[in-house]
Amino acid sequence: MFSTLATIIKDNWQWRKQIGHLAIFELMKQARGAVLGWAWLAVKPIVFIVVFWFALEIGLRAGSADAAYPYFVWLVAGLIPWFYMSDMFSTGSDVLHRYSYLVNKVKFPLSGISTLYSLSTLIVNAVLFVILFVIYAAYGMPWDIYLIQVPILMLLMFVFWDMFSILTSQLSGISKDFGQLMKALSQPLFWLSGILFNMNVLETSGFGWAANVMLFNPVTFFVTAFRDALCDKRWFWEDPVFFGCFVAVFVATLVSMVLVYRHFHEEVSDVL
Amino acid sequence: MSFDAEERLLESLGPRVAVSDEPVVKFEHVTKTYKLYKNDRSRFLGLFSRNNKELVGIVHANNDLSFEIKKGEAVALIGRNGAGKSTALKMVTGVSYPTTGTVTVNGRVSALLELNAGFDGQLTGRENLSLRSQVLGMSKKEYQEIEERAIDFAELGLYIDQPMKSYSSGMKARLGFAFAASIDPDILVVDEALSVGDKEFRKKCINRMREIMSNENVTVLFVTHESAAAQEFCTRGIVLSEGTKVFDGPIDDAVEYYEGPAD
Repeated sequence: MFSTLATIIKDNWQWRKQIGHLAIFELMKQARGAVLGWAWLAVKPIVFIVVFWFALEIGLRAGSADAAYPYFVWLVAGLIPWFYMSDMFSTGSDVLHRYSYLVNKVKFPLSGISTLYSLSTLIVNAVLFVILFVIYAAYGMPWDIYLIQVPILMLLMFVFWDMFSILTSQLSGISKDFGQLMKALSQPLFWLSGILFNMNVLETSGFGWAANVMLFNPVTFFVTAFRDALCDKRWFWEDPVFFGCFVAVFVATLVSMVLVYRHFHEEVSDVL
Repeated sequence: MSFDAEERLLESLGPRVAVSDEPVVKFEHVTKTYKLYKNDRSRFLGLFSRNNKELVGIVHANNDLSFEIKKGEAVALIGRNGAGKSTALKMVTGVSYPTTGTVTVNGRVSALLELNAGFDGQLTGRENLSLRSQVLGMSKKEYQEIEERAIDFAELGLYIDQPMKSYSSGMKARLGFAFAASIDPDILVVDEALSVGDKEFRKKCINRMREIMSNENVTVLFVTHESAAAQEFCTRGIVLSEGTKVFDGPIDDAVEYYEGPAD
């Protein structure tokens, strides 16, 4: 088991150059064919954010007036990491079909395919984080020590969703059912993970058990952790139960990734 | 006297014998099994069950295949469709793994298989070359050395800087061959790739292949079901039939064995 984990890490390290170049090429591919090419990568999420802000703050008046921070900052702090996670969830879980030539035609480590996709998505997301900080500054929020969590969380998010993608892409390579399942779950996950509302409201409205289930939802963890850093000014490990649950999910994902990789990685290229 | 002349002729044609005893490609009791299922549902169930009741059949694409290819040899894998040649090649290139047994490969493999696989339609021909070089882990310097050579060879003119979605299939194949043939591999794997483009281009390809093979350190693995092509390039032939090796020896004998009345 440890040897498989070592293989995955070693593959990613030895092929880091190729993985990096291919991540850039992935972005080039998406940007190609339009005059504004690169800008479009950011335009889509920005439009999304503006529409949500308009619908929720102006239309539904969902923001509470007495909060210590603007609702818009709180919303964007959750939406931006979600864009990364939703890409990893829907496309990252089926990345082997997207890059089938790397599986079937050339020698390339399967885990590296997940990493290169994850990396290219993270690059776009980093640009969005720059925009987030512009908004943050525009609202006159403080530049304090808690912000140091943002790069740490981004790294943690990258590692976790890369593992998730290695795990699920193998499964959807073996059977398309897994890929379809992941795509089907992507939308519900957005609405249920507390990206648009605070998880604490569940408690007061009698859905405490749902909040307990969500303790094990990694999307909720990352969204909450980014908001803790930017808005609530807390450390993401401060709530031991919440952080403990995430650690358990992290370890479970790691273990299943290793087991699935060991069992299937030689078979995938035959059935893809 | 006549033996001498023959030997000189062979030498003039390129590398015809091993330059050292070091095996570059080694198959040891390799068996590659494909499981065949009735439909998607049974394939899914088959993932979870150890017994094989969901299977409709098991195919041994390679069955207890053992051979050794030494550095500098030019070997043809001959066999009918479905004899397991391509499966063996896939294992040499490292994209597929044996079910049992071991495959050992020492050196950089350049494969002329399915030449236009993996090109991206959005990127230009030049960008695709660069992408491909990076997939193979070539350094920038190495790539710069081969870039012009590959572009000249492919004869695409202005099209080289156009998106590849505007290419015809022949153009794609030409670029694919040009790239694969421009790098100097340790092991060259050719899978009936020579039917690329028109007559002129085909001639050029064959010349380039000869040139690569004239480097005596290059090991060549040539897969074909046409015995004439095998005789042109190779000295040793391995005849495969239903996944097993049925003959291994000098190319002319191998071709004779393959062509002759087997039954």
